[in-house]
Amino acid sequence: MAVTNTDRSISEAAGRRSTLAQLWRQIIRIDAMNLVILVAVVLVIWTVISATIANPARYLPSPLVVGLSSVDMIYKGLLPSYFGDTMLRLVVGSFIGIVVGVPFGLAVGLNRTVADMFYPILNFFQSVSGIALFPILVIWWGNSDTTVLAVILYTAFFPIAFNVLSGVREVPIRFIQAARTLGASRWQIIKDVLVPGAMPHIATGIRLSIGFGWRAVIAGEMLAGREGLGWMIFSAQDGDNTARVILGMVMIGLTWIVLDHYVLRPFESETIERWGLVQR
Amino acid sequence: MSIFNDLSIALQRKIGRQRLRKWILGSIPFIFLIILWEMNSYFVWLEPVYIPTSGSVWEAIFTLQEGCEGVAAAVALDNSCLMTTHIFSSIGRVILAAVVGLPLGIAFGVIAGMNRTLSKFLEPIGIFFNSISGIAWIPLAIVWFGIGWQTTLFIMLNTIFWLLFFNTMLGVRGVAKVFEQSVLTMGGSRWDVITQVYIPGAMPSIITGCRMAMGFGWRALIAAEMIGGDSGLGFMIFTSAAEFKIEEVFLGVIIISIIFMATDRYLLVPMERWTIQRWGLVWKPT
Amino acid sequence: MPEKLLVENLTHHYPDEYTGESVHALDDVDLSVQEGEFISVVGPSGCGKSTLLNILAGLLPYHVGKVTVDGHMIHGPGPERGVVFQEHAILPWRTVNRNIGHGLEIRGVPKAERDNRVAQFVDLVGLTGFEDKYPHELSGGMKQRTAVARTLCADPEVMLMDEPFAAVDAQTRITLQEELIRISIATKKTIIFITHSVDEAAFLADRCVIFSRRPGRIKAIVDVDIPREERIWGNMNADTRFTSKRDEILHLVREEVSVEHEE
Repeated sequence: MAVTNTDRSISEAAGRRSTLAQLWRQIIRIDAMNLVILVAVVLVIWTVISATIANPARYLPSPLVVGLSSVDMIYKGLLPSYFGDTMLRLVVGSFIGIVVGVPFGLAVGLNRTVADMFYPILNFFQSVSGIALFPILVIWWGNSDTTVLAVILYTAFFPIAFNVLSGVREVPIRFIQAARTLGASRWQIIKDVLVPGAMPHIATGIRLSIGFGWRAVIAGEMLAGREGLGWMIFSAQDGDNTARVILGMVMIGLTWIVLDHYVLRPFESETIERWGLVQR
Repeated sequence: MSIFNDLSIALQRKIGRQRLRKWILGSIPFIFLIILWEMNSYFVWLEPVYIPTSGSVWEAIFTLQEGCEGVAAAVALDNSCLMTTHIFSSIGRVILAAVVGLPLGIAFGVIAGMNRTLSKFLEPIGIFFNSISGIAWIPLAIVWFGIGWQTTLFIMLNTIFWLLFFNTMLGVRGVAKVFEQSVLTMGGSRWDVITQVYIPGAMPSIITGCRMAMGFGWRALIAAEMIGGDSGLGFMIFTSAAEFKIEEVFLGVIIISIIFMATDRYLLVPMERWTIQRWGLVWKPT
Repeated sequence: MPEKLLVENLTHHYPDEYTGESVHALDDVDLSVQEGEFISVVGPSGCGKSTLLNILAGLLPYHVGKVTVDGHMIHGPGPERGVVFQEHAILPWRTVNRNIGHGLEIRGVPKAERDNRVAQFVDLVGLTGFEDKYPHELSGGMKQRTAVARTLCADPEVMLMDEPFAAVDAQTRITLQEELIRISIATKKTIIFITHSVDEAAFLADRCVIFSRRPGRIKAIVDVDIPREERIWGNMNADTRFTSKRDEILHLVREEVSVEHEE
């Protein structure tokens, strides 16, 4: 019994994906299109929920209301100003944290004994949340910018210092021995072996630092009442302006996505790719 | 001197030379800090209003527990046992949020991760909600639930759910197809595949999710208790600070740190050792 | 005597992963396998032999033609057809023992009986002493032994093997081939063995099926009539019964490969 032409065409048809499924796949493959559909779906669900609940203005204003409130806030110049305040705090806080943390981690990590000495205490402080220290700092400096900045500094400094320290420690001893047999001086070993070897950890530490710093900024602004995105959502809640709360949340989320996915992650993966020691 | 030598040798045998060395070295900075603190109590370089004496922090325990009528009252979260009440209500919230949030996050993560197309589609949602999870939800949670335990529980639950959902989804998506096929060819059902392939296969990712959830969750919980809570350690240190009782604030911060370190070391690290390391799976931080 | 496994007019297309275009993988394949027979399938890479195995395993739905086991059409995977996969498909989170007993566990066999059966197969594939190890603690050869034992322990009627020894080193592969012969004598299973190695195909099988390049058709079937008891590598290379069959198969396969190169 031979295969007939009808059989062939049945099989071939089964081999092709149905055109609808194929179209869907192609749409999904385009990330931007995927995102547009997803956002549309979310907006529709959000609108429907907001339309069905009682008192949406208080509990869940519709996307349209939130959008209008953003137009209003941009028009008044409030949103850009809050956004700027928050970013400035983040940049200054994490910049100082990194500038101090990297050399500290390196200096401590260079000597085995010193490194073993500092490892547990750095690990301890990096896991103690900076937000928990807020009440102490408030007693020291009141509800001031200094307090907020100190929280960010604390949260940024310890992850980076800890990561740099463990990065330096994890450079294989082989590399140091190899450099030594080539007659490298102590300074040359630091410059050519230890620092490049720790680069991936430094990059990871920077990303972590800014990540924790970002959350600390938001919390710090809420607690200390300093102007910025965190304060914006907190005061809007106080003033019963839920649309503004949601607007602030969306801003916070989007800012972090942009920062993390388009600045920090590429920076981290590029550093790891360039300097990474792939070892198992 | 010989007693000292014997002791040293015995200790080295018991815990290992390298570990003993690390313990001793690692404790030096802590001891140094404590000595510095004690010296401050003695010489008063900084006023006790700013840095309390260690004695007053110790006494704060008894001040807070004053009038507490034994263990039964402490367990019943009696208002006279302030310290234990706050500790238990924070831990209780974490446990409650974990009991609800972990299975929910893992379940939705498995469902989404089983279908490649669906999980690609949903990925941005996970990224977005993880970006605002935690602290930024506090004001909206207050609008929805008011000041109190519901708000703080919601914040913790929200953090746990999104991290677990996202990490489980990525983990399940990454499980090799051949494991699934091998269970199916042995006559396994969909459910067998989920419990015996997807969940253990996604374990490295799930545990990463748990660690992140604990890390971010505790921080967010403390903040939520300060801003929108009426009990818990965050609430305790915040109200104590408002009354300038710095010794109580110090006590609270120390307790928070200890609980946090302990959950990581005695719960999450062993969990990792028991699954990922034993199975020889590679742990990839996401 | 009825056929254990029967493939009639099997034609198969599948959509390409990226372009979505229809790929013609199998064309009018007919094959009948007797109970207890050892069949090997060779052919150039991409000839559709793995597609055939996936259809037999029930992992790939087919639309044209007929595939039956004991007269029943195949719809999806089933425990009567066991598969030994090419890669390491044993579960990393189960010990050797629990991997081997997995099929019985799925079927709900009580633990005591399971342990009994598992011990038997651990012994058969020579893994004694490694029962409580996890796969990452085993060598490549031991992993594949575990995979073979896992499939055997579930007691399937037909064993489907998809290039199971491709990833192990040459020395181990020879040992595993001889062991597989020994196991096939001991268990009398019907075995279909996919490979790209002509030596392996000729050494193992009672009948060797040669596939053409895509779209895969059966080009020839070569009988290798050497009793299984005599199949030991030490004797085979000097055995003209073996070398002549091997050269014949090699010739048939090379025709296909060279056609491909000319185009």
